[in-house]
Amino acid sequence: MQHRHAARIAALMAAALGMGTLAACSGDDGESTTLNVTLANHVWTDIITEKIPEFEEQSGLDVVVTQLSEDQLVDNYKVKLNAGSADVDVMMYRPLQVGKLFGQNGYFADITDRVSGAGDWDWEDFQAGPVGLTTYEDQVVGVPMITESEMLYYRTDLLEDAGLEVPTTMAELEEAARTIHEENPGTAGIVMRSQASAAVTQLSGFLYSFGGTWLDDQGHSAIASDEAKEAYAYYGRLLHDYGPDQISTDMSWPESAAIFAQGDAGFWIDASSLYENVYDPAKSQVGDQVGFAPFPAGPDGSRPYNVAAWALGINAASQNQDNAWAFIQWATSPDMTLEIQTEGVPSARTSVWENPEGTESFPEDLAAAIAANGENGVGQDRPLVVGVAEAREIVGAPIVAAITGEDSDQAAEQANEQFEAFLESDG
Amino acid sequence: MSTAQTASAAPAGTGVRPARRRRAPRAKAYSAFRATMIAVVVLVFVVPLLWMVMASFKTNVDIQNTAKTFSFTPILDNYRHVLANDDYLGFVRNSFVVAFLATGISLLLGVPAAYSMSRFNMHKSALVVLLARIIPGVSLLVPWYYVFANLGLVGGYGVLVISHMFILIPISVYIMMSFFDSMPRELEDAALVDGLTPIGAFLRILLRLSVPGMATAAILSFIFSWNNFMFALVLSGANTKTLPVAVFDFVSYASIDWGAIMAATCIMTLPIIVVALLAQKYIVSGLTAGATKG
Repeated sequence: MQHRHAARIAALMAAALGMGTLAACSGDDGESTTLNVTLANHVWTDIITEKIPEFEEQSGLDVVVTQLSEDQLVDNYKVKLNAGSADVDVMMYRPLQVGKLFGQNGYFADITDRVSGAGDWDWEDFQAGPVGLTTYEDQVVGVPMITESEMLYYRTDLLEDAGLEVPTTMAELEEAARTIHEENPGTAGIVMRSQASAAVTQLSGFLYSFGGTWLDDQGHSAIASDEAKEAYAYYGRLLHDYGPDQISTDMSWPESAAIFAQGDAGFWIDASSLYENVYDPAKSQVGDQVGFAPFPAGPDGSRPYNVAAWALGINAASQNQDNAWAFIQWATSPDMTLEIQTEGVPSARTSVWENPEGTESFPEDLAAAIAANGENGVGQDRPLVVGVAEAREIVGAPIVAAITGEDSDQAAEQANEQFEAFLESDG
Repeated sequence: MSTAQTASAAPAGTGVRPARRRRAPRAKAYSAFRATMIAVVVLVFVVPLLWMVMASFKTNVDIQNTAKTFSFTPILDNYRHVLANDDYLGFVRNSFVVAFLATGISLLLGVPAAYSMSRFNMHKSALVVLLARIIPGVSLLVPWYYVFANLGLVGGYGVLVISHMFILIPISVYIMMSFFDSMPRELEDAALVDGLTPIGAFLRILLRLSVPGMATAAILSFIFSWNNFMFALVLSGANTKTLPVAVFDFVSYASIDWGAIMAATCIMTLPIIVVALLAQKYIVSGLTAGATKG
């Protein structure tokens, strides 16, 4: 009796599953008029979601937006795309963090023909660095829409009191941090990220400026080179000697930005996209005393990262790719990009940066620093591998060693071995 | 009494030792130890909550300012900001719907199951039920998503309720099973002698007596469902988002609105406290009733 019941229930469930599969397949014939767009919490998203009704009117489509914070977004994609879901059409993603992984897994639709055949929309207008990041094995898989670069933030009042010029080299930066630290008890000369994984992106500018790289030309680990060791040691020394007292080694940007915004540090080095956190008086006590400068030069010049922070791609399993492309084209058109950049979101379009209207919303020195970083910038801020999260933990370890005053050269050698092993197995 | 003792003990270190009764120092040491431990535990549990409540009344600049930890000008802007977001009350409703349905259905299925497992010696089957609680939830997400997406259920309340029930049924079965185990069989035997059917005995006698157990199971289930983040993250849709996922709306790529997060979290915590307080009454009254003394 019980067995018969169980069998009946199993049959029912199987039938339900089968119907579900059929229902899902029936979308093949024609594209749905509902477009599922998944976006990250970002100022860009706030602006675009306000304008989506305009797009819906133009296109006759019904746009459903799912909005999540960065980490949740990635988890969400991993589950959905892994299951081959067609519930995601347009996807906002971080090319640096997941580009290679998603590309390798075949999650992205190839949009090479779409971007190059789009005429006035003008694919050529996009900066080369960001475009390189949204290209996977010669196929364009994403349209970069937000960029960021590594910026030197400083306190105009503290520099003035100490009679200091804005530092343009690593040596000057160290000297200035030392002076501010000595002359203002309780104030740190400089604050930066100190947590291993989080600090990797900020170390990258130091690494490049000292002449180092994450990987050599053959794709082997290069983090034990003399240049890399110098970069690790320098980064750590700044924080160990002139950083906040009793520095913790678990600071990412919210913590380091908070210290700077409280007026407790002379310099802060982090992404340009974060400037509102220390510049906006609603968030910062020192908003009107913040200056912006290009990344200081090391032995190899000023070489900060300048990257595509976010891009829009199309899910390879989407049944609605034409409409998805229509949405991306609308959201990244020259006019829309200009409009969004005037609200403070740095774009990847050259024409917008050349247009005076495009930079007038930024503080003048910030716009100038972003432009300078754009010229010198390197198109990546972390090792571009499949398992980025694990790689960051490995290459970030020597940073922590340097900050805590341990032997960072030895830590770099150790990390080098681990990184090499990682590259051989998972990289 | 104790204050007088403390006062008289104060000059002890100066050399003049007052004569004391033998037991007093030990009792005093014990009570001091007890007070310290209570203070430590209370601090550990209450300080984060207190910080959360205080931060919800501060500006983002003040939250980061350690000098203004306790002395600050309270503002209501964070609450205004959260409540002005039309969606937020919708998320509160979503959380309630999912938590009530999941808890209710789990009890409905779990209590009779626990009864039969307890009375008919099916403790091995109970282990299988527990297995559901042992498997890490995250390993279920991909297959669930696949199945539910194909059924077209993803984004609805149903799928959230089902996924929560997967955890809640083992919770209620296990709590109720040990509860039924501890109930004397004589109660049922007496009911049968008085002319009730076995089901009647269960419904009219045992169920009435097991209210405290059910209240415990209900509270734990409700709290789990209310706080569940992982299942809701993947299986909910834009209109069925629950509170734990919605709180992250205030975390943006390049800015974090701590004030709003704290206000949103306070709003989210309040119902749980109310539910726990209300249900606690049943637990206490159930325990003191002494129904099983027979």
